[in-house]
Amino acid sequence: ILDDPDLKDIDPAVLKHCHAAAATCILEAGKQKADISAISTCLEDCKLDKERIEQFCTEYQKNKDALEILLGSIGRSPLHITDVSWRLEYQIKNNQLHKTYQPSYLVTLNVENSDSGSHPDVSFSCTMEQLQDLVGKLKDAAKSLERATQM
Amino acid sequence: KLNIGVDTIQHGVEGLVYLLTESSKLMASIPFLDFQDSIHVLGFSDELNKSLLQLYLDNRKEIRSILGELAPRLPSYHSLEWRLDVQLATRSLRQQIKTAVTMKLHLNQNEDQTAQVLQTDPATLLHLIQQLEQALGEMKMNHCRRIVRNMK
Repeated sequence: ILDDPDLKDIDPAVLKHCHAAAATCILEAGKQKADISAISTCLEDCKLDKERIEQFCTEYQKNKDALEILLGSIGRSPLHITDVSWRLEYQIKNNQLHKTYQPSYLVTLNVENSDSGSHPDVSFSCTMEQLQDLVGKLKDAAKSLERATQM
Repeated sequence: KLNIGVDTIQHGVEGLVYLLTESSKLMASIPFLDFQDSIHVLGFSDELNKSLLQLYLDNRKEIRSILGELAPRLPSYHSLEWRLDVQLATRSLRQQIKTAVTMKLHLNQNEDQTAQVLQTDPATLLHLIQQLEQALGEMKMNHCRRIVRNMK
């Protein structure tokens, strides 16, 4: 904002204050999920005229959803799984043991950190039975989710 | 008790171990004949050959399973715990309803057990299930069955 030609006549310190005040107001409104009437009342108390209140509220309304998404994404959470890849292999031999003949799955869970630092993916191997166990448990979780949303 | 030098016994034991592990590793497809042929070369008495063969047959399975543990491995699946969470509010945003599935994945790596806490949303959960079911389905496909059948 300090580089905006329209604002160059205003004292930069005042500009900063205005910016900070506006930002605080918007963030608080967003955090509390305040509706338009609450915001209007608040701004009236601050002695802003009708025209300005209306302008502010319209702009706020336009960006409300984006603001909520942004605020909702701040915060810590465990590593978030975004995708899964798998590989099915059939082992014939290794240097310790020949003729092993064993199928196995290699599963990789792609994960994301909420702090947007990258994190190595979680990989593990499993037999068919173990994969069946895993899928069974995931299905249980999904069924519970369905039941919970129906309540 | 045997009145032989320590070195001799050590060599004897090492020799036996080598014989048994190599035989178990290669798992001669015709156990009796191949094993017998191999040790015949060593020039021991018939009685000794028979005892060695018996020793091999008795311990073969156990030796193979122990050798199997020595191969290079990735962490392997042990189990999974899960729970449903609903996030209602955070410091930055009040009045939310954010569902998530939180899981604890237990893995084994070389006798250590690790547990990792992971989370996912309902949509990704369904995607995971679909992908992994497809993976399971592969084993039943003709391609895999043919390979398993023909490589024995």
